Amino acid sequence: MTTTDVRPRGRWVRGVHRTLTGLHPALESVLAAVVGLLVGAVLMYIWGYDPWRAYWALLRGAFGGDYEIASSIARGVPLIFTALTFSICLRAGMFNIGAEGQMYIGAAAAVCVAYFQLPAGLHLFVGILFAAVAGAVWSLGPALLKLTRGVSEVISTIMFNWISRFLVFYLVAFVLVDPRQAQRTVRIPVSARFPILVQGTDLSYAVFMAVAFALLVYVVLWHTAVGYEVRAAGLTPTAARYGGISIKRTMLLSFALGGVAAGLAGAATTMGLPPTFAIISGLPELMNLGFDGMAVAMVGRNHPIGILFAALFFGGLNAGGRVMQFYGSNPVPLEMVRVVMGAIVLAMAIPELIRLFPALAEAGRGLARTIARRKPATEEGA
Amino acid sequence: MRKWLGLALVVMLAATPVFAGKVAVVLDVGGRGDLSFNDMGFKGTDQAADDFGLEMVEVQSATAADYLPNLRNLARTREYDLIICVGFLLGDALDQAAAEFPNQKFAIIDSVVDAPNVMSIVFRENEMSALVGALGAMAAAHYGYPNVGVVLGIEIPVLYHFEAGYRFGIDWGNKKYAAVTGTAKPTGLLYTYTGSFSDIALGKAATEAMLAQGAVGVYNVAGPLGIGDLEAITEFHRNKGTKSGPPYYFGVDANQDWLGKAMHALASGMKRVDTGCYTAVKAVVEGTFVGGITSLGLAEGGVGISKFIDLLEFIDFGISAGALRLEDRDETLANWAVNRGTIPAWIWRAVDELEAGILDGTILVPTADTGAEMQAIRARYTLGAP
Amino acid sequence: MSQTSNRSDTEKGDGYFLRAEGISKIYSDGTVALRDATVELRPGEIVGLLGENGAGKTTLTKILSGLLPPTRGRVVSPRGQVKFASPREALDFGIGMVHQHFALVGTFTAVENVALSHERPFVPLTLSATRERLEGLMAESGLKVPLDVPVEKLAVGEQQRVEILKVLSQNVNLLILDEPTSVLTPLEVDELFKLLRRLRDEGKAIVLITHKLKEVGSITDRVIVLRKGAVVGDVQMAEVTKEELAQLMVGKEIGTRAAQAVELSTDAIPVPISRHKEEAKRGSGVLHVENLSVAGDTKSKAVDGLTFDVFGGEIFGIAGVEGNGQTELVEALTGLRPAMEGTATIHEKNILGLDPRQIYKLGVAHIPEDRWVLGLVLPFTLAENAILGVHRWEEFRGPLSILRWGKINAHVRALMERFEIQATGPSAPAKSLSGGNQQKLIVGRELAKDPAIVIASQPTRGLDVGAAQYIRDTLVEMRDRGRAILLVSADLDEVLALSDRVAIMYEGKFMAVARPEELDRQKVGMLMGGVGVKG
Repeated sequence: MTTTDVRPRGRWVRGVHRTLTGLHPALESVLAAVVGLLVGAVLMYIWGYDPWRAYWALLRGAFGGDYEIASSIARGVPLIFTALTFSICLRAGMFNIGAEGQMYIGAAAAVCVAYFQLPAGLHLFVGILFAAVAGAVWSLGPALLKLTRGVSEVISTIMFNWISRFLVFYLVAFVLVDPRQAQRTVRIPVSARFPILVQGTDLSYAVFMAVAFALLVYVVLWHTAVGYEVRAAGLTPTAARYGGISIKRTMLLSFALGGVAAGLAGAATTMGLPPTFAIISGLPELMNLGFDGMAVAMVGRNHPIGILFAALFFGGLNAGGRVMQFYGSNPVPLEMVRVVMGAIVLAMAIPELIRLFPALAEAGRGLARTIARRKPATEEGA
Repeated sequence: MRKWLGLALVVMLAATPVFAGKVAVVLDVGGRGDLSFNDMGFKGTDQAADDFGLEMVEVQSATAADYLPNLRNLARTREYDLIICVGFLLGDALDQAAAEFPNQKFAIIDSVVDAPNVMSIVFRENEMSALVGALGAMAAAHYGYPNVGVVLGIEIPVLYHFEAGYRFGIDWGNKKYAAVTGTAKPTGLLYTYTGSFSDIALGKAATEAMLAQGAVGVYNVAGPLGIGDLEAITEFHRNKGTKSGPPYYFGVDANQDWLGKAMHALASGMKRVDTGCYTAVKAVVEGTFVGGITSLGLAEGGVGISKFIDLLEFIDFGISAGALRLEDRDETLANWAVNRGTIPAWIWRAVDELEAGILDGTILVPTADTGAEMQAIRARYTLGAP
Repeated sequence: MSQTSNRSDTEKGDGYFLRAEGISKIYSDGTVALRDATVELRPGEIVGLLGENGAGKTTLTKILSGLLPPTRGRVVSPRGQVKFASPREALDFGIGMVHQHFALVGTFTAVENVALSHERPFVPLTLSATRERLEGLMAESGLKVPLDVPVEKLAVGEQQRVEILKVLSQNVNLLILDEPTSVLTPLEVDELFKLLRRLRDEGKAIVLITHKLKEVGSITDRVIVLRKGAVVGDVQMAEVTKEELAQLMVGKEIGTRAAQAVELSTDAIPVPISRHKEEAKRGSGVLHVENLSVAGDTKSKAVDGLTFDVFGGEIFGIAGVEGNGQTELVEALTGLRPAMEGTATIHEKNILGLDPRQIYKLGVAHIPEDRWVLGLVLPFTLAENAILGVHRWEEFRGPLSILRWGKINAHVRALMERFEIQATGPSAPAKSLSGGNQQKLIVGRELAKDPAIVIASQPTRGLDVGAAQYIRDTLVEMRDRGRAILLVSADLDEVLALSDRVAIMYEGKFMAVARPEELDRQKVGMLMGGVGVKG
């Protein structure tokens, strides 16, 4: 009599998966980064670029000196906010894809301070407040749709992104437009700008706002009753309800707080980013910061402190990527730089992605099973 | 022997570039591959680097937040004899970078940055737009079309140059037609600011609307939107069953006559960004670089209406970029000749006449830099508008 | 063919389709679900699989249908030993299962759902072939369902028929149905039975999991009774009475209300249940429920017009097979599910329509039946779980609503000590705890509220003997301190031993409310099976 054990390969895949997911988070990130860098190196090698020199340029451009470090941090500042938007809502059990649009609205609101005069510090503060409130208000749309009509926040936030995109296009072109420079809005006056922290770089005092906000989010989520409710609702909504927690309230709260974060990202890019201090038509300085923030959130393991480091990492990648374009005799063009960055970011995000979507891991295992599949169970005697 | 040695020395000296340096081109978020503005900026600088034996580096910008860091990164190396910014979007960034690095030479295309170390290269787009306008107006009258159209991008001062010149040209063409034929058939203008330099669908929609109102041709003044404009015109022809003749497509910036195998692209209002970049590099090499505005018009070869000779150059450009197949080259040239033949010779001569008048200064094409100036010109050349 | 041996004795030639021989199943947490069970299934026979909750019915069918591997023993067919790595393989072998919760895609039509079940990786679905197959099957079996309506628009009975068709379309020879009648109306039940008889006559082997004695009597040919994982009866239906079946199902003796620990259960697992010594000193009424009806997820009335009181100082037990409305009743009383009609008050204050937090404020503690879904946030730490529902207490919060983790941790350590919770510390994740310690954590948290009434639902399910005992003692202690306890448990021994009054629930109604000493096991078994007892 024979029996067949039909899943040797499946077991192997599971074993690898368990080993990977059982790693210490820090070790896991390092491993992921190494894998990403290797993939990027192979890609560059295939296309005839020198990976060694390119990575050297990346490293020098990202962290080679004060100027480089300041530039990297500056590039990461808006990403801290948009990553927090995603993470706060994820902690509450929702996929908020809406940071992009909420950031546009926040930026547009911040530009409005150009229309009145206030003393220096106060003017800045009012701008921040405008952006935060606008971001939060805009985020309430998808939140209320979900609470009252059960509309999936994934769909509605994507829709709202489009609405806000064209709304801000319109505002930039027709309402906030600078009549002398019609390709952009009026500029935010000096009294409402974040002062530059490191002269000769993009790094402004907005970085303090970003770090402070990340710490605030940490304290709220892990050290207040409200944050406790948000996290409980996100992890096990049934148990949260059993515990007397109103899921609707935690949803609304997390969406609003996420909206504030996204609005502040808009403030940081308009009020704290030289040289324009305005929104350019087509939003090229804002475009995709919200989506990049999701990747930052993944790499930062959806934890505010992790996000700070991940944003620095991202800022470094972007700042160093600029240098890769002209360093050495055979520099890497931007298109290739972005491919390499994509590989690194994807590798860094995969562990968290698998945690968020067990289906991803299951699909991988299913594929392995299909490949390993043999004939079904019984066999006529040998 | 000594003679040989001497000759070798001379050859070596001659082969050695007189000026061994580096230039950089910084592009805006549009990036390479537009077969127009950015590609031409690259092409002109590349050509100059080749001619003068320089090393050239190209830096693209992923987002607008990269403009200033890119300029700083390059300037900090102190290795570049010239950094060229292609496009007015880089204006604010250059404004700051030029102040931070006063010893670095910069040039910017299409924008004015007021600094002693910046050469601001601007074009008199009104001049070539006038030629296109005149051509359009006379073609419309000839074929009995009531209107001629223009699809513009975002309402910015640079685009006022186009509109102003186009209006003037149409008006000139109307008068010329009346004078030559003895019958006045004033052609009207249809114009739309789409508010976009990227949404091709907007270009198509705007063009469709103009064709429905009897436009003999549409002038693209919105970069990539021209692809949509041409698509609408091609479809119009397909529905009508015609292969050439009106309605026509008028290209912009580059010589776009070869687009769509030159079936319907009659002419292009060329703005030679490549010439601008070349001029800047040349000035640095020859030591004639000065800050301030350098205005390039018909006279300087900075703008012009497309001719056969440019077509050959840009067809090669399109082939090397992979946008046109080599085997389509002859067909494209044949199509172009057929399409140009649908316009009577006297109209072409009239266009040449206008060009000559502008060149010798007897004809002055008005322009506009502000909304108020634009309003004044619109009021002067109403072109069918009530 | 096969050289399968081991067919020494009983079976008649090819008379069986599948046989499970000496099957034992021990789960990784040590629970013994099946012990040395041998079951034989024959073509052309409807077999009833009877047993209380936790008797091992589900485990046995899961092993037969390839969802679980047995720990010991084997499954053989006349062609040799069989091992299934997945339900797919079992299905390929001819074994199909219709689960209590249908596995249908609501927005798909019947045809699409059936086609989906035939789906293999990288093979396109063929709807037209599926439709033909289904039409053929419907004509053959007389089973009619609308083919082109999204199944979510169908009645529950029709959905079940789709599910059965889905399985039949795979050419199964053994059809296992898990509690198929629990969601059906009487008319639908009749039709289902008609169909099952026809399938039997076509030569299929059919297994019906049920706890309803009436049904067993009307449809099955043979009954296999499981108790505590062992086969305690395998009898032809014609040779047995309902009373005998009830006795087989629940065991012979009924617990006497003896003072010391008594061993109630059968041979295998001793379940010692110590009893409180003192007689109940019934206090004033705490919970008053009148004419309460609650809608279920699939049933229109899961709780059907219940009226009862729970007094301070007494344990009011609700016995019954699970799925008869107990869950809905508890959820309605704790604010997790809206009631349809009726009233419920605690100390004469209405609780219907309040949210859980407001109900807790009236002095309710709730030990939920599912500690993973309701009772705990598993990824949270011990400390975080210990304040679930009480996290807004003044003593845990500082200014700005900042949680005072120092105080909370002290509170957790006290709980750990008092309730003997084995864990590395307050910051250990709850999921790292054993089931018993998780439950102790919940019990500790709830009792720390010093409630007026404890609503305990299946409080000892899945726990080892020691932990279960501890929790029972704790409940008794609360009762002795004058608190009201509403105990819902599927463990008959537990309810009978602990309660001062017992209600037996069947299909949303109380079949009887009595003192435990007035009941004997046979009577209880009949009541649980829906058979009324007179006198």
